[in-house]
Amino acid sequence: MNGASTAVQPLAAENVTVKFDDVTILDDVTFSAGPGCLMGVVGPNGAGKSTLFNALVGLVPVNEGRVLIHGRSIDDSRGVVAYVPQYEKINTRMPMKADEVVMMGRTRRIGWFRRPRRQDREAVRNALEQVGMWDRRSSLVSELSGGQRQRVFVARALAQGADVLLLDEAFSGVDIASQESLVGVLHQLRDEGRTILLSSHDIDHVAHYCDECLCINNHVCACGAPRDVLTPEVLEELYGPYGAAPVHGGIPDGHHH
Amino acid sequence: MDIITEAFITPFEYSFMVRALIVSVIVGIMCPAVGAYVVTRGLGFMGDALAHAALPGMALAFMLGLSPFIGIVPSAVAIALLIGYMTMRAGVSEDTSIGILFAGMFALGLVMMTTAGGLPVNIEDVLLGQVLGTSRSDVLITLGLAGGVLFLIWALHKEFVFTSFDPTGASVIGVPTQVLDYTLLVLLALVIVIALQAVGIVLVISMLITPAATAQLLVRNFTQAMLIGAAVGAASAIIGLYLSFHYNLPSGPAMALVATGFFILAAAYTRGFAGAFRKRAA
Repeated sequence: MNGASTAVQPLAAENVTVKFDDVTILDDVTFSAGPGCLMGVVGPNGAGKSTLFNALVGLVPVNEGRVLIHGRSIDDSRGVVAYVPQYEKINTRMPMKADEVVMMGRTRRIGWFRRPRRQDREAVRNALEQVGMWDRRSSLVSELSGGQRQRVFVARALAQGADVLLLDEAFSGVDIASQESLVGVLHQLRDEGRTILLSSHDIDHVAHYCDECLCINNHVCACGAPRDVLTPEVLEELYGPYGAAPVHGGIPDGHHH
Repeated sequence: MDIITEAFITPFEYSFMVRALIVSVIVGIMCPAVGAYVVTRGLGFMGDALAHAALPGMALAFMLGLSPFIGIVPSAVAIALLIGYMTMRAGVSEDTSIGILFAGMFALGLVMMTTAGGLPVNIEDVLLGQVLGTSRSDVLITLGLAGGVLFLIWALHKEFVFTSFDPTGASVIGVPTQVLDYTLLVLLALVIVIALQAVGIVLVISMLITPAATAQLLVRNFTQAMLIGAAVGAASAIIGLYLSFHYNLPSGPAMALVATGFFILAAAYTRGFAGAFRKRAA
């Protein structure tokens, strides 16, 4: 009903409030992420990071406010948003190969009662090649390293054709060696114009890899370039006076393009 | 007449044995097809509960002189939906509430069966299975139900796999995970209904999980495991049927024992005990 007064962003939350029973998990959260943006979400445990992600993809109902994907409601934009869950949420008892997982991203496009066609197999191949996992397509995801696994799930998002990606605890279970290749893939996707939101409990990751940083502790404490946002004051608001450790190696200058 | 013919072919001179074979093979195939999901999604307790909770519906049909299917199909489906609702609601301790429900329903069914005199069925057959007693209409209903279930398992394969593997991701893409979960439970209920004839209430769980678990020991591919599970299940059911016929056993325990034997063999094989087994045999 209301026309876009500002430029329509790929991902926007307007005054989002989420309550479980009487407990307010998210309080009046407003932010937006533009195209070609890698945004990190930080905050202490229980700050509502996962709830925010769930609200952004429509898994938890929003009590007040709204979420807009390219200016449209979540229900009108299924397929545009992809979600890379924490690996703990995956049913590891199901033995699934990397290419089978990526093909899941095609589910809606393939349609009910149909099998994958050639264009679906090509999309899976392209996606796996883009994240550098085509050679491991026949490996079970349970046999992959944390970083390789994340890249497979990112490939699923690509096969889906999503241009907004959400990675919940993107670096959990990812060792330092494979962290770089995951970040490389994410930066490449950002440079292609996609919008990527990732949460991490490690503020160093966000400071070093992300263009923007959203700090939440039930409400938005700050949002902007990591260099501007991750101030001692904000860190104290997030983690309390004893948790506000300085960012290792300092915060690099913004490499936002 | 040589002994092999006598053991394997002669029984089928009886038409009840032909009917029993048809139903056994169907049960052997259907249980692992759904059982693959039961095993990977941890629905074993739910399946066991469903089988027990279906007894009052069956008892009612017997009391009214109807085909047991008429009572048991709707009651099993209703209970499946109820259990699904209970588990999908957060905050309810699901195994406690399922436990209360299924024990209560099973008790009610037992009381109904024992107080109603002159039922055309042994309670032992209901509990342990008696595939030798299947009628012509039982076979037709079994074929119809199995056909429907198999079609949906096949048609919704990729959606069921996605939802079982990554419910969050599936839901975000717009796959109706709740509808699929309920559908899977209804299919589970229907397979249990089919299987009750052969393995009985108490041992349905065996055919549901053992062949599927055996297959998953042997191959690390979900779809292949489904097919191998069906083969293991069918073999267990057929061998169990012969044991039941020749040794006058209830068919449920016979089939369950064979299925368990297959599982032990597969476990021994995959854990590398095959050599030890061979030595002992020699």
